[in-house]
Amino acid sequence: MKQLLLFSSQFGAKIVLNPELVLERSKRYYLVSERLKKLARGNFYAAGLYLGKIKNGVFFPSFNLLNMLVDVAENKVILDKKAAWLFICGRDVFRTGIMRVYGARGKGAFTLVLNDFGECLGFGRIIHSLDDEDARVVIQNVLDVGDFLRREK
Amino acid sequence: MAISRLLEKFLFTVKQFRLMSGRDFFINRYLQLGWEFRGIKARQAIRINQTNAKGKSILERLLSVGVKLEKIPFLDSGYWVSGSKVSVGATAEYLLGLYSVQEAAAQIPPALFSDLKGKTVLDACAAPGGKTVEVSDLMGNTGVVVALDVSKKRLAALANHLERCHFSNAVVYNMDARSASKLNLKFDKILLDAPCSGNFASDPFWFKRRTLKDVERNSALQKELLCEAEKCLVPGGELIYSTCSLEPEENELNMDWAVKNLNLQIKEINCYGEKGLTDVFGQTLDPSVAYCRRMWPGLTQGFFVCKLTKRGG
Ligand SMILES: C[S@@+](CC[C@H](N)C(=O)[O-])C[C@H]1O[C@@H](n2cnc3c(N)ncnc32)[C@H](O)[C@@H]1O
Repeated sequence: MKQLLLFSSQFGAKIVLNPELVLERSKRYYLVSERLKKLARGNFYAAGLYLGKIKNGVFFPSFNLLNMLVDVAENKVILDKKAAWLFICGRDVFRTGIMRVYGARGKGAFTLVLNDFGECLGFGRIIHSLDDEDARVVIQNVLDVGDFLRREK
Repeated sequence: MAISRLLEKFLFTVKQFRLMSGRDFFINRYLQLGWEFRGIKARQAIRINQTNAKGKSILERLLSVGVKLEKIPFLDSGYWVSGSKVSVGATAEYLLGLYSVQEAAAQIPPALFSDLKGKTVLDACAAPGGKTVEVSDLMGNTGVVVALDVSKKRLAALANHLERCHFSNAVVYNMDARSASKLNLKFDKILLDAPCSGNFASDPFWFKRRTLKDVERNSALQKELLCEAEKCLVPGGELIYSTCSLEPEENELNMDWAVKNLNLQIKEINCYGEKGLTDVFGQTLDPSVAYCRRMWPGLTQGFFVCKLTKRGG
């Protein structure tokens, strides 16, 4: 729970979760409704909204969590169609593919990556200032929705 | 002596296998049931996820990436893929949960439930979760879906589907549905999309793989699943039973058995497909079995669906 909030804060986002409704199973975290909580027996495989998992001490967010952050995060970039497609294919982001920037622009910051419909495609880390006109690749892909296909392989 | 008896037994088994399996054997059965075999391959179809796609011009978006769709006349949210420059299972719209790739007949069972919003639903044999996602969508992400499957590997795919489509109303157990009553829950609706022998339209090696023995084994398992489902259903509750098998032992004969042995009755449904068979290899079944729907491969893969309710509601 602490790591989840810490992760969210990297995007300048504060989310409020009722700890009573966050269930943990095998280091995976789920947000459930009151009704679901009453039905969920201890040995469930998955329940409610999967938020993310902790592996070797590192928090890995789910796409549900990233979606929850979209409205409250400060750091986000909007990509044009071509850059959005390349991003979900696992590629990093070229400065020229960015249509709009919200929040952080400096190296090291984490930012959500959205398409031109405002849908969250994943997140990345800024590796060159977004104002650096000489830089080509500016955001390193950390996680993108193409992961759904890679997981099944 | 013992060896010759063993050999005899082996040869008998081989003969039985030959007699009760193979393309001709099954095609002849279909002919006896009134259907002339045609080699058909199921068409690819998608289902728009209404909860997520609301207000988004999903059809235009797909067309702009080269996916041509054709509305399936007998489904509310289903489209056939009539041409595509890209894999429909790998577009951004798919990865964002705006639609699922789901064969046309497979979209029918969840749509047969009445009034799903806010209900407690059991998806008894749920993985890989195509219909779990559809049920959650039809529920508008309200109520609760309890999804069970014996295969942990397939449950991973189900969990991925739920995450991709952002549904939050399901709780998933790696569990044999024949022990579903151990959950101590009563369900308003139960989907029993039973494990079955499949059909040739969705499996090119079907005729080589399957024998009547498989059909009989599956039929017995399906009866056990039906028994347990009935136990968990509230009086008046709805049970949708479906298989993608063409074999009457897994379909009409099981439904006939269910109305005669369980506290269930078959309800009339209005969906694509032909009337259930009530005369199977010389055996006359309960007339209500005609309310079931049998889909011979053609516009869809081979499929069977039936809606039952528990008496006493
Ligand atoms: C026809 S498939 C279900 C397809 C699924 N409903 C969908 O739409 O994606 C049948 C499933 O039943 C599962 N199964 C087999 N025996 C079972 C049992 N005794 N209890 C629960 N699940 C079972 C299989 O692992 C398989 O995933």
